[in-house]
Amino acid sequence: METPVKEKARICPDAGRPANCDVCEVRANSICSDLGPREFVQVEKTMSRRHVAKNKALMVEGEPNDSLYVVVDGCFRLSKMLEDGRRQVTGFLFKGDFAGVRATEASAYTAEALNDGLVCYFPHSFLDEIAIDAPGVKDRLIRHGQTEYHKAQDHIVLLGKKNAEERVVSFIAMINERIGFDDGNGARRVPLPMPRQDIADYLGLRLETLSRTLTSLRESGRLLDVTRHSVTVPAA
Amino acid sequence: MKQEWRKYLGLRAPRYTSYPSALHFDEQVSAEDYGARLGETALYEPLSLYIHVPFCKSLCWYCGCNMRVENDYGRALRYVDALRREIALAGKALSGAGRARSIHFGGGTPNFLKVEDLERVLDAIEAELGLTDSTSLAIELDPRLIRNGDIDRLAALGFGRMSLGVQDFDAGVQAAINRVQRFELVESAVGEMRRVGLTDISFDLLYGLPRQTLQSYKETLEETVALSPDRVAVFGYAHLPAALPNQRLIDEHSLPGAELRADLALLADEMLVAAGYVRIGFDHYAKRDNPLARAARTGRLRRNFQGFTDDLSETTIGFGASAISFVGEMYAQNAKTLGEYYACVEKGRMATSRGLVLSPRERVIASAIRTFLCRSEVDIRPLLAAFAPRDANSICANLDKLEVDGVIRWNEDIVTLAPGANILARVVAMALDPYEAAIGCEQGRALAQAI
Repeated sequence: METPVKEKARICPDAGRPANCDVCEVRANSICSDLGPREFVQVEKTMSRRHVAKNKALMVEGEPNDSLYVVVDGCFRLSKMLEDGRRQVTGFLFKGDFAGVRATEASAYTAEALNDGLVCYFPHSFLDEIAIDAPGVKDRLIRHGQTEYHKAQDHIVLLGKKNAEERVVSFIAMINERIGFDDGNGARRVPLPMPRQDIADYLGLRLETLSRTLTSLRESGRLLDVTRHSVTVPAA
Repeated sequence: MKQEWRKYLGLRAPRYTSYPSALHFDEQVSAEDYGARLGETALYEPLSLYIHVPFCKSLCWYCGCNMRVENDYGRALRYVDALRREIALAGKALSGAGRARSIHFGGGTPNFLKVEDLERVLDAIEAELGLTDSTSLAIELDPRLIRNGDIDRLAALGFGRMSLGVQDFDAGVQAAINRVQRFELVESAVGEMRRVGLTDISFDLLYGLPRQTLQSYKETLEETVALSPDRVAVFGYAHLPAALPNQRLIDEHSLPGAELRADLALLADEMLVAAGYVRIGFDHYAKRDNPLARAARTGRLRRNFQGFTDDLSETTIGFGASAISFVGEMYAQNAKTLGEYYACVEKGRMATSRGLVLSPRERVIASAIRTFLCRSEVDIRPLLAAFAPRDANSICANLDKLEVDGVIRWNEDIVTLAPGANILARVVAMALDPYEAAIGCEQGRALAQAI
């Protein structure tokens, strides 16, 4: 499956620098929560926000990247071209996850927005600069979120599972943990912002096997509902 | 053909589907070694999978494959179960690493198995190793065993490439090799494949078969061109009756001599090129828009156990009796007999019985040969550097002779195959490999003729 590399997202001038990080909803449980007050003021000063429109790339494999990105809103697909020229979906980023953990001349993967997204970004040169006064600031920034390295770990665990059903169930549980919410009727709604083909590719399954597995999970009551963009699971 | 080239025609040369060839494998590679290598596979490493189906309905006298005639389908079911277990063992060793990029079913006769049983093998691959809609699936088919509806079902399963064992359309030749299949049978199989939208159909043809004449082979080639397969592989029949008892059934007096053999190979080359096919390596032909021809144009042609291919995977995992794997510079071959194969796999062990780990020097030779066969050109500097002066000199002496005879051009360190010399490429490959050249003389009977 080959997809043309999307035009790299441009910085949206209106997004600019946030007036106040206090309104940030990701902050409380991940980013910035471990920063001391002085560090925080410094970080806030040099951080910028960028809107990334659906299907636009935040980072492109093989191109230089010099910023650390934090997903504030939206979902991103990570993928890489394999040696044989085909694309492999390697993971998904959700609110609070990070990309671009190191500055590099050539990114190891592409990150594309699956829906309209918003990210904060910090130039690595700045983070290195303030690290002189605040050692370990980078580590504290990303302590609570997941980086691309966590995603690779998740992926090998999923691919190591020995049948389609286990892989699909684990995938849904993984997404539920990140962006699932109570549907008001005592069940959990799990959004699936990525196309089915991406899920199948990610899980090493044929599309038809994925569809059949979702159907059988619904028929056996392990899923309450299956729609194009979400599934509903009984509350644990 | 140039008069100076004639003397190379009788030479025996390896087919170099692997280097070193399987004749050099020994017991030094164990199931544990192989499993450990599999465990080192990288997360997204592209894998090429080969599934060997050793059963056939009847015996073709020319056959050189690992096969057995089977009348009891129950025995094939036991084999399918063993394949599924073997796939699970590989899945355990890989534990999620590697992505299956292409799967090739070869034989024997893969369509000896019913489609539902081929599907069970694919299901095991999906569960244990992962299988996506972008994995390319290929299968070799015996046209005599294609059942009603098979082609539709195979296409629905995702098989995008089907290869038909045609060999020769002449009734007399077919009788002399015990493989009688009417032209209409192949024609209708091709019709079915086109109807389901297949765009990658390949034919295997053989030259050097008993009773072949220039006239009979011309007709076979005309009929081939009329059916317009996307690829044609033209192999020379290797008559090795000492090693292959079934070949003793062939009447040696009806085999074409070296001169006729060469003329048959040249006739095929000429007629296929005239019909618009592009030469690929020394024995394949493909239509210009076929993926194989595109790979050759862009320098991405590769060679694996199935011959020339556009599959870029560096790692091959073979399943089934006698199947060969290549993982991280290690060749590992499964036990050849069904008894030995079952004895391992049914007890939960890999069936590796022989193999070889490439030495640094063998890696250099392998790379030079592969590059030359796939690109018709190679820089021999690294090769010469890998040898002591005496051996390097003997390589140069071999190449000198080939240059004098106009088989190659040799400028600075670049050796290039002369135009039109495609079918002699194996002879040049052998010149790059002093060990094989020496062994080839001793064990000539085990190697096939170069042409």
